[in-house]
Amino acid sequence: MSVTVLKPGLQTTIQSRPRIGLRHVGVPASGAADSLSLALANRLVGNDWDTPALEATLLGPTLRFNTASAFAITGATAAATLNGESVVFHETIFAKAGDELSTGGAVSGSRMYIAVAGGLRADEVMGSSSTYLLAGLGGIGGRALDEGDELVTTQVEAEALRTPDEFRPPMTSSWALRCCTSFETHRLRDDSREQLFDTNWTVGRRADRMGLKLEGPKLAVSSAGRMPSAAVFPGTVQCPEDGSPYALSVDAATVGGYPRIAQITRADRHLLGQLRPGDHVRLLQRDGDTAVSELHAKLDYWRAWLPDIVRII
Amino acid sequence: MLTRCGDDLYSVSAASPPDAQALAAHLRAHGEWLEVVAGIDSVVVQFDAVTQDAAAVQALLDELLAGDIAPLQVSQDLVEIPVVYGGEYGPDLDELCRNLGMSSDEFIALHTGSEYRVDMVGFTPGFAFVGGLDERLHIPRREEPRQRVEAGSIGIADGRTGMYALASPGGWTLVGRTHYKLFDAHGAEPFPIRAGMRIRYKSISPDEFRP
Repeated sequence: MSVTVLKPGLQTTIQSRPRIGLRHVGVPASGAADSLSLALANRLVGNDWDTPALEATLLGPTLRFNTASAFAITGATAAATLNGESVVFHETIFAKAGDELSTGGAVSGSRMYIAVAGGLRADEVMGSSSTYLLAGLGGIGGRALDEGDELVTTQVEAEALRTPDEFRPPMTSSWALRCCTSFETHRLRDDSREQLFDTNWTVGRRADRMGLKLEGPKLAVSSAGRMPSAAVFPGTVQCPEDGSPYALSVDAATVGGYPRIAQITRADRHLLGQLRPGDHVRLLQRDGDTAVSELHAKLDYWRAWLPDIVRII
Repeated sequence: MLTRCGDDLYSVSAASPPDAQALAAHLRAHGEWLEVVAGIDSVVVQFDAVTQDAAAVQALLDELLAGDIAPLQVSQDLVEIPVVYGGEYGPDLDELCRNLGMSSDEFIALHTGSEYRVDMVGFTPGFAFVGGLDERLHIPRREEPRQRVEAGSIGIADGRTGMYALASPGGWTLVGRTHYKLFDAHGAEPFPIRAGMRIRYKSISPDEFRP
């Protein structure tokens, strides 16, 4: 039971849950950059939320199902066809043996998730089968998919489902991320601190699973831009020497030497996985307690469709 | 000093890298955390903002910080890291030596002449920050980081020696390379280098390098 990769797309990897508790030896979280969309795809084929599935960046893969399989696509919007017939996102789709799924370029959002009922077989390393390209961990040999790869699946029955409209995250080119000030925000010059939260930032060309450069006014820190290396996390926004904020994502290094000027709240970190070059993003300032109550509100909303939401975001 | 950031982080300042490591071990042993990550002069705790109340976390951290914190265990074993200095293995060595006004032999004698201590591991899996560099070798990081530094590269910057476990981008001045396996995901001990370990460098010839 397998799926053959006919075209790999731009960068398609197997992703699952993050690696947790290993940052002190340099192992980043990895896992789906947009964990919510991964969970939504798995939900439609009856899998646990973190069952290994495909994360495709900007340009999706072309796959051949060698066995009858149920699958579902979520995340970034794109054109997709099964044997040339258009297929919709956010619904369970039943492929026959030999069917070819072709996914195109993302129109809105950055990453689509393709889950197959029963899941994809992947190497589990340090508590997760998520692919971490830099160290070659997880997935298939720790690398992105290549043409000709055979992805091993487990055949299971799935029922036909569709994501209710109110649980389809909107894909847009204009985002808002809630965030708090961080440990070195006070080192920003006053006008730069205002600009951090007042600017409609543009996502730069450097946007990947490590992080995203935000372009706009150059921010200035009051003292030299370097500091002793200290812990950073997905969602940490650093101010490197060039003054363009850099938002760290799931594969980011675990310590850094640039001032930490903001921290995107846990509720909104998964959105980083969908920002693409040219998108606009605003940082909405929250205090810690407000961020926690907003997190609880978001979890309460999602629990009706994703009972495991507390582990997903 | 304890500082909160956002919904799920607290940072504690530390006087030195060994203090930060000792504090991190203490916090790890006495609480349920998602992550406890020591830096050069700080420790950051990430907690589960859903199941843990921030005020209760702060109270627990205050209590733990007031308790007896065992100093970092410095290992008795001395780990010897074989390094090919200069040439293609350490592409920045010649320029560095010109800037420092010393010969590469003098540099190698200095670098291999001391015993070091691992300050911390992190950045990427197994990357080691090794403290105790001779003051004559203190230089800042490169202004333009390299897009790719080879695995096993040995660099210096900010008063430390850095050991690249993996090929990655990097901004340290590269003086040599080791074949010592600094990270082995599938080995019995994936992280052979730990904070607090004693390190000594040994100069080897390119013929002795086993890639």
